[in-house]
Amino acid sequence: MWQYLLEALSVLAANRVRSLLTVLGLVIGVTAVIAIQVLGAGMAGAVNGILGGVSDRTFVVFPNVQQTDFTRAAIRLADLERAKDAVPNVIEAIPAGGQSLRGAWGHVDRRVLIGAGADERFATGSPLRFGRKLNADDIGLQRNVCVLSDVAYDKFHMSGDPTGTSLHIGERRYLIVGVLGKSTTGIIPININADVTIPYTTYERFYTRGRPIIAARFLLDDRTKVAQTEADALAWLREIKGSRVEYQTFDRKTISQAIDGIFAGVTLVVALIGAVSLLVAGIGILNIMLVSVAERTREIGLRKAIGATRTQVLLQFFIEALALSAFGCLVGLVLGVGIGASVNHFAIVKLSGVVAPIPWLRSIVIATGFATVVTLAFGTYPAWRAATLDPIEALRYE
Amino acid sequence: MSDDAIDVREVTKTYTLGEVRVEALRGVSFTIARGEYVAIMGPSGSGKSTLMNVLGCLDRPTTGRYRLDGTDVSTLDDDALAAIRLRKLGFVFQGFNLLARTSALKNVALPLFYAGLSSRARNARAAERLREVGLGDRLDHKPSELSGGQQQRVAIARALVNDPAVLLADEPTGNLDSQTSEEIMALFRDLHATGRTIIMVTHDEDVASHAERIIRVRDGRIVADEALAQG
Repeated sequence: MWQYLLEALSVLAANRVRSLLTVLGLVIGVTAVIAIQVLGAGMAGAVNGILGGVSDRTFVVFPNVQQTDFTRAAIRLADLERAKDAVPNVIEAIPAGGQSLRGAWGHVDRRVLIGAGADERFATGSPLRFGRKLNADDIGLQRNVCVLSDVAYDKFHMSGDPTGTSLHIGERRYLIVGVLGKSTTGIIPININADVTIPYTTYERFYTRGRPIIAARFLLDDRTKVAQTEADALAWLREIKGSRVEYQTFDRKTISQAIDGIFAGVTLVVALIGAVSLLVAGIGILNIMLVSVAERTREIGLRKAIGATRTQVLLQFFIEALALSAFGCLVGLVLGVGIGASVNHFAIVKLSGVVAPIPWLRSIVIATGFATVVTLAFGTYPAWRAATLDPIEALRYE
Repeated sequence: MSDDAIDVREVTKTYTLGEVRVEALRGVSFTIARGEYVAIMGPSGSGKSTLMNVLGCLDRPTTGRYRLDGTDVSTLDDDALAAIRLRKLGFVFQGFNLLARTSALKNVALPLFYAGLSSRARNARAAERLREVGLGDRLDHKPSELSGGQQQRVAIARALVNDPAVLLADEPTGNLDSQTSEEIMALFRDLHATGRTIIMVTHDEDVASHAERIIRVRDGRIVADEALAQG
């Protein structure tokens, strides 16, 4: 078999131009499919990087907007206080969302989004630029402290380290204890963080009195039981609000499932494009292999005359097709990964700051699959044609 | 009897071309001893090409028996015939039939590939045969870089590389000028002198006169079988 491969390679090398033309279609097809795979992995990596900013120890519950008795479904502060005793695995339930209020830093006056925050265990994955995040003491002691987002930092035209200075929200003064760095949300324009995050205990005390709570954020003890706790929380809400109320939950998994759904659609389209390019490439190979068999009729006649059996000729042409396919797919693999990784590097990584690993295994499996399918589907017939040529006719062929 | 290289008994060959039955061979019998140098002559349509194909194990007789080097090959299947061609026959064609873009050495080594020899053994034997036909300094030349006579020498080296019982040459000088033809004939004479069995199909009396025996075919039958005095 090794000898056949060497023989096939020497035949292909002796006919370089023909060989290269034969695999051109395959190279293009495989390149396209693999480049899109690598790109897709880069995109998925970027999205996951963004979701990394969402803590997996929390979920949000909010009433459906369209339901018969929205007032009945509304979650109240009193409900939240009972939640941690009523629902297993819930440490705390806090108001989610925030309020837009005027804030002042020095003489800069801006409208900012105030949000309720929990301590670091439930905080987002956003990096810290200055100071610290909220801690358990801030929560427990209802301190008047705040953490600014990078957006707020820019809004107030801050420079240098602002921690230790004060931010005025309405009548109240908050000590700035930390500033978050840029979150990895460049590619998708959502901001996970409120402009100004204050301890949820402080938030409840000053900003929830008399106002409806739009949504509740549940803080969990065990991050592996998000789905179960969500179900328990909903059951408990129906118990206290009546069975007709409708709620939605929102957690990291919900988001990634939604994004996964989009990617599944994209993948299907890519798979279809791949199938079409496979077909086109295969027909190209079939055509050129048949031309090659016709062109080499005398050669085949000679090979049979000097003692090659049918099986040997079949094997030889089949291995030639296999070598061509393998070569085409290898080049396609390298080009595809190269192009995909470059586009990732210059577009996605620049925007999102997330470097996703190249999906080598999947790419290699795809390329190998292409080579196998193309060879079996389109290399067999020409090889069989060559093998069954009558040597006398073949030698007479002009 | 088994001492003969070739033993043909009442061989016929009938083709069906559409509605028409063509009796290419109508009962041919002869023997060729080992070491003989025989020319088969006949006008076109005489059946000499068919006879050549049968002798070369490229085709099976319709009836009759053919023993090659002691083996009855008249009823063997395709693969068995291929094995016989590989081990017992060497072909030289009018059009040389060398692989283009492939060195003389690789061309000569080709039959040994099908015999399953290692690359090193193939190249060593092929180089030896090329030296025997006077092309020891042309191993790496491609056919396009060789003259017609040199190409035919490469083809002869290829035919001899597996040490065949019989060398079959089909119009070996048909594509060559007269001086080059003389050189090729001289080479055949040398090969004959070393004990090779050579069968040559030709329509050229001058070429045939180099053989020691001429079998003349016409209308599918042998019309003459004459020995030539060697000068």
